[in-house]
Amino acid sequence: MTEFHEFMVAILRSGTPLVYVTMAGVIAQRAGVWHLGLEGVMIIGACATILGIVLTGSFPAAIAIACVLCVAASVLLWFVIEKLGANPIIAGLGLTGLGIGGTALAVQALFGSLAAVTAPFGVPRLGEAFGSYGALSIFVLMMPFVVWGMWVLLRRTRFGLRLAAAGEHPLAARSVGTDPGRTRLIALASGGVLCAIGGAELAAGGLTIFAQNMTAGRGFMSFAAVIFGAGHPIAAAFAAMFFSLVGVAGIRLQLLFGASIPHDVLLSLPYLATILGVWISGRMRGGAKAATEASELRDY
Amino acid sequence: MNLGFGAIPRALAFIVLALALCGVIFELAGYSALLMFEAILEGAFLRAGGWAQSLRWGLPLFITATGVAISFRCGFFNIGAQGQFYIGAICAAFVTHLLAGAPAALVLPVTFLAGMAGGALWALWPGYLRLRSGTDEVITTLMGNFIAALVLVYVTSGPLKDPSGTGQQAASPLLPAVYRISDSQGISPAIIGIAAAVALAMWVLVNRTPFGMLASLAGRNPTMVRFQGARLWTLGLSSFVISGALAGLAGTVELLGPTGRIASGFLPGHGFTAVLIALVANLSVFATAVVSLFFGGLASAAIYLPILAGLPAAAIDIFNAAVALFITAKSGLLDRLLRMAKLPT
Repeated sequence: MTEFHEFMVAILRSGTPLVYVTMAGVIAQRAGVWHLGLEGVMIIGACATILGIVLTGSFPAAIAIACVLCVAASVLLWFVIEKLGANPIIAGLGLTGLGIGGTALAVQALFGSLAAVTAPFGVPRLGEAFGSYGALSIFVLMMPFVVWGMWVLLRRTRFGLRLAAAGEHPLAARSVGTDPGRTRLIALASGGVLCAIGGAELAAGGLTIFAQNMTAGRGFMSFAAVIFGAGHPIAAAFAAMFFSLVGVAGIRLQLLFGASIPHDVLLSLPYLATILGVWISGRMRGGAKAATEASELRDY
Repeated sequence: MNLGFGAIPRALAFIVLALALCGVIFELAGYSALLMFEAILEGAFLRAGGWAQSLRWGLPLFITATGVAISFRCGFFNIGAQGQFYIGAICAAFVTHLLAGAPAALVLPVTFLAGMAGGALWALWPGYLRLRSGTDEVITTLMGNFIAALVLVYVTSGPLKDPSGTGQQAASPLLPAVYRISDSQGISPAIIGIAAAVALAMWVLVNRTPFGMLASLAGRNPTMVRFQGARLWTLGLSSFVISGALAGLAGTVELLGPTGRIASGFLPGHGFTAVLIALVANLSVFATAVVSLFFGGLASAAIYLPILAGLPAAAIDIFNAAVALFITAKSGLLDRLLRMAKLPT
């Protein structure tokens, strides 16, 4: 039984950052922005949390810094896409590069080397009362509520409808007097907060460490989870959990089979699962027929 | 996308905008932005031998970038150049390893073929999935990059491991000099010849063949191409294969030329920079050559900065990323600003 609990803890720990970032992708997608900058915003959140803890010695201050920086990065992306009319894919990849490069630069500027930064403490834990799950951070506990809240926000509120209108039919949104551009700004900025939490959980939820390039494609996986989940918050969250389940299962397999399977092959399992997920969702949307039409990414 | 030359001042304007953003980031991180730009310029072009270094880094970038441009022209966002570059280099390295001892006249052609085939293969599956099942190629090629990087780690620390390696970075053994097409300086007639051949071939392909014509049309209006009776399937798949083969060729050039071996995580920004070059050059072959030299200079500055100027190499990544952020911007504020600048007020 303890084995099972350990497995669950590992999945929750690796899946939670992905789910938060996926929610940021979902809200952006509903507003009509395919957010490929998730990776960049997430790593900014991870780096800012660890550096914030090291510099200020307080977790709330660190997470506040992370939120501010992530929102700023998201607003920058919004400005470039919305006001300068840039291609969201390339601009998003640019933001990702800025995040990865910028965090490396910040670490080097502060510590003089590119070695991993360790913080003395991380996100507050659940504590003894939760038994084997006590080592998990409070963000893990919050996660289901955030996903549910996102569903309520998107499907049961006026703002959610406005968001959908901005994404699906900007002209209709404008004709009832809302500004789709502003709606997108709100969506991307709140996505920034979610990415900050996701990054914080990744860096400070378990190991309290920030290493260069530590997101390792998780932001892109979250983006794929949004596609796999067809923009539905709960489906996308399950997709994100599925990707991390595959990753954790890979590590377990390594323990089981030892050196007979190369380590690097197992490390590539989440990426393969992501490809599988996008392939399935492509097939569900009409397969080859969709190939001759512009991809959904370029409908924007 | 406008494929003419008129876009050059626009591209320059965005590079200025990117520089401004970089300046802000450098200052925030506590570096003097002016000093940083000076060091980058010095490292890229002004120091002795700077241009030769730009050429060394620029030529492989050029080869990859023309490939990226082909798939972008066709309307497919193949951003997996990094993975195709790695897989190409790995296949080429396996061939040189297997044929070790054979005469160079036999080994080199087979190596180049293997490298290009490897790169093409790594572009073929995302292309197939895209055209057959509508699987988004942005995600598949991105994931392909991560997988290829892991394959590279596996190969360099397993089957092709250099037994005399220091252990700091997994790498394959250095190739014997007979198989190298340049020394570690990376400039040789062979490499320049390959790049020139690629430039000529791609220029002819894009501007003087039905394929190039239809590919550019397909990027802008796939439905129209279909109604004209062209096979989007063949067109798209070939564009993927060509772009992958060129990235694989660049990987082979790196292996046989300046680097002389494959190492885990070598040239990590190559693919992304190549995508950038293709976009800055507006997908034109000639402009790609010029822009490649510029970004090649920046790549050489990334080596120069930490060693000689004591500044972090990440500065170059940040500049590249900032360019990427702005380069596709087409309308709105900046055009208005440009127009205002031209009009006497």
